[in-house]
Amino acid sequence: MKFNVEEVFKKYDVSFFIGMAAIFFIGILNLYSATYNQSTSGLYKAQMLYFILSMMVGFAVSLINSKNFYRIAYYFYAINVFLLILVLVLGKVGMGAQRWLSFGVIRFQPSEFMKLSLVFVLARWFSGNSPYDEISFKQLVVPGVLTFIPAILIIAQPDLGTGLILLLIFSMIIYYRKLKWSAIFKVVLLAALAGSVMYKFGLKEYQRKRIQTFINPYQDAKGSGYNAIQSEIAIGSGRIFGKGYLKSSQASLNFLPENHTDFVFSIFNEEHGLFGSILLIMLYCILFLRFLWLARSVTNVFDSVFCVGLMAIFFWHTFINMAMVSGLLPIVGLPLPFMSYGGSSLITFGICIGLATSISNSRSIF
Amino acid sequence: MFGEEDIVKSHEKRNREVATLVLGMMGIIFARLCFLQVFKGEVLHRYSIENRLREEVLWAPRGKFYSRNMQLLVDNKPRFDATLTRQYLKNERETLAKVAEILGMTIDDIDNVIRRNAYEAKYRPITIKKNISRVELARIETENDELPGINVQVSIAREYIDKEIGAHLLGYISEIQQDQLPRYRKRDNVNYRLGDFIGQSGLEQQLDNYIRGTNGQEYVEVDALGRKRKYINTDNLFTGVENIKPVPGNSLILTIDRDLQKIAHDALQDKAGSLVAIDIKTGEVLAMVSNPAYLPSEFSKGLDPEYWQSLVGNPDRPLRDRVIQEHYSPGSTFKVVTALTGLAEGVINNQTEFFCSGAMNFGRRAYHCWKKGGHGRVNLDKAIRESCNIFFQKVSLKLDIDSIAHYARMLGFGKKTGINIPREISGLIPTKDWKQKTQGVEWQKGETLSCAIGQSFILVTTIQLALAYSAVANNGKVYKPYVVKEIIDKDGEILKTFSSELISELKLPDEYFDKVKRGLFQVVNHPHGTARWLRDSGLLLAGKTGTSQVIRQKAEKIYQKCELMPYEHRHHGVFAGFAPANNPRIALASIVEHGCHGSTAAAPVVQKVALAYMKKYHQEEYEENKKNYKKILKEFKIEI
Repeated sequence: MKFNVEEVFKKYDVSFFIGMAAIFFIGILNLYSATYNQSTSGLYKAQMLYFILSMMVGFAVSLINSKNFYRIAYYFYAINVFLLILVLVLGKVGMGAQRWLSFGVIRFQPSEFMKLSLVFVLARWFSGNSPYDEISFKQLVVPGVLTFIPAILIIAQPDLGTGLILLLIFSMIIYYRKLKWSAIFKVVLLAALAGSVMYKFGLKEYQRKRIQTFINPYQDAKGSGYNAIQSEIAIGSGRIFGKGYLKSSQASLNFLPENHTDFVFSIFNEEHGLFGSILLIMLYCILFLRFLWLARSVTNVFDSVFCVGLMAIFFWHTFINMAMVSGLLPIVGLPLPFMSYGGSSLITFGICIGLATSISNSRSIF
Repeated sequence: MFGEEDIVKSHEKRNREVATLVLGMMGIIFARLCFLQVFKGEVLHRYSIENRLREEVLWAPRGKFYSRNMQLLVDNKPRFDATLTRQYLKNERETLAKVAEILGMTIDDIDNVIRRNAYEAKYRPITIKKNISRVELARIETENDELPGINVQVSIAREYIDKEIGAHLLGYISEIQQDQLPRYRKRDNVNYRLGDFIGQSGLEQQLDNYIRGTNGQEYVEVDALGRKRKYINTDNLFTGVENIKPVPGNSLILTIDRDLQKIAHDALQDKAGSLVAIDIKTGEVLAMVSNPAYLPSEFSKGLDPEYWQSLVGNPDRPLRDRVIQEHYSPGSTFKVVTALTGLAEGVINNQTEFFCSGAMNFGRRAYHCWKKGGHGRVNLDKAIRESCNIFFQKVSLKLDIDSIAHYARMLGFGKKTGINIPREISGLIPTKDWKQKTQGVEWQKGETLSCAIGQSFILVTTIQLALAYSAVANNGKVYKPYVVKEIIDKDGEILKTFSSELISELKLPDEYFDKVKRGLFQVVNHPHGTARWLRDSGLLLAGKTGTSQVIRQKAEKIYQKCELMPYEHRHHGVFAGFAPANNPRIALASIVEHGCHGSTAAAPVVQKVALAYMKKYHQEEYEENKKNYKKILKEFKIEI
């Protein structure tokens, strides 16, 4: 098992980075338009810097031998959970919601990395425990606990959106790892039960409101309803061919302050219409399928589950963001990968790309 | 370790299924986009071009303030602001020129306002002029067609019924400042915006959370010029949007009596000073006035820069609450503490007499009495009545400053009283430790002699003085002063009741307090008392005068020619007391800056308020006392 630098570069898989760059290219043009002529108009420059940074981090990660991912999985997870607890404790002291840890200049959001850590730990668990068989309901206990601990810690921050993403990643991985249909039935039943219990709690008006302020503390329910409708108007008004680049009138309406983060997709739709979004959705689908294809062609269970997990991170972000801006889901603040403004999510996605590339490279080396 | 290709292969079916699921869900998104962009595309496109949903704030009325007798003290009245919505602005220069002309502004003024709000959403109205007149309002309404994007917004201005009376206590509201936004958003978990009003001082600030209420929102459809549409939209686009009704704020019922407030204010007219009156049995504050004051309503109207300058530039600092935010040296009013300490420590008893020759020496310094020839033989009654310095200084020779400080603190000096108003200060009661820590020098015994007569380091606030005298009248019980009795909601339901709270108790035999009270009664009712001019046979006022030095002067100069000194060098006049002496009900303190003497400047203010209180609330008792005045004098050992 030698690891030869020359070898790596000869067979370096650039497809993931190309996919990332393609979507980002559309994203940066769109961000420029979304913030055009506004107080946030300089943001695209910062976004380009973040992109270069995340490319560099992703590239560095891609050079790591993928066997190490298996080795570090549990440590990575344990450290991350510890940091989540730390955030919660420090946040309590500071009397308010807190998601960040500061190490001098570097500010760091443990919940952002938790998505990755969860993929690591679940891949590791499922590769080690009777990987030949279908999984039964009982076998979900340990991975279930591994998922719920960070999910609850994150929801308590409070950051309901990221907490739910963890659960969704978990469910996609267990489905892929051949969860028996009877067990799937039980999981669905359990989720429905838990959901309805939650709903019973949520029945009281003020509690429902509280949950909604959890989701987005600076907007009450009706306020976000207003944003959702403006977003629908933006999307619909693009019609089939769009209004043209830099011609978004809804963008200039300024959905304070998320039009460059959560609502970039609506502005893209307004300017480029259905044709534009077909192109964008196809690019995302190609990226998802690339991950799934990689999951089939690797030689061990860890890598395979790992790839599906990485795909799940991308897919759920993309789906939930698009669904919420088009009025299918309530507004929870989740970014659209490579399109939304934000350094910390961009770097996380860059790391995912790097991890997938490393796994892809390792196939040809062995 | 690995080599599990077969297992990976066995996942191919699920892999395909996951792929199908992913593509299927993206397909749902695509279907939704088709629905919005193809099926509803025309409608939504029309909306994006011509029609807008506009968000309007429905201002929540702030809670009202009532006096203890349910008289209105603070109310709301409608106010009209001219607003501009950038989104609907057409022919910008012409429109702005026209608005500027109507409102008596320049185009530059309006441009500046727009620039300041540049980061706000375009559909959000910006206020360009607050509190416009009826004429301006009428012109904007009638010339609406030529003023696209210009509207009038109704909001609520605060009205303080008695103008500047009690301004410091009631406080004022003003627009939230840019630098306050992040802090207050975090503190209250409310998404404040520029233009929101919050309490900035006094009760308006302290109970802002209760009074503020919650603003509502109304979503209205407007046409291309920003005017509300007449027809009701039928294509159900806005079903997700609901209007939110404003929730009115809660009202306060204060412990304050409006009439006493007015009398105190009138008595302090033209002077810089303060008065506070406390119900002895409960700690309820009946009157609390600081002068000069300001007009709180000016702040909610949008402050006129000239008016602001006149407040900030005034050397008497009208914004400062002299009842709780200013401290003074208490002068002779502090002798009560020395007397109680002396009694408690056994230095003074029934037989104690000292000789006052007009001066005494201690160390290398001479200490003078205010009376040049001296008081002769002085017992406690006479010492309080005639305010003899030498008596108390001789008492303090046998006392430790720390024990004086102990009794002073037990009476409420040297710490905040805890009254529910922001920015109270704590005054200062020195101890040996304190001096060593802050000045690095050891305590000098001579300083104890100065402290014994309320000079040197000692500083007190007006409210502490009133509280201490109420404690003396109450035989040592100190009740926390409070100004709000109840908080009631818009339907009059009581949300919160404040009640009296014993915060400390100086446990000494009743006879000690009686001795001190007797001396205080003689101050006003004895032919030789220092405040004998204020004798009123029904009121039975007991109290103590004091003179608070502004600058250090030679002792013999202190008590003379005050009126001849320049105003800013004159002493502050202090008076604290309670009434009626035989059944104490109300404790009061007043400080009149540069008033020269406690007896002529501050005592009349106290007497007027106390008299009004007795006549309003205890008329019968007042008449009864008047009849029995001679008998009462005898009880207090005054022979006529």
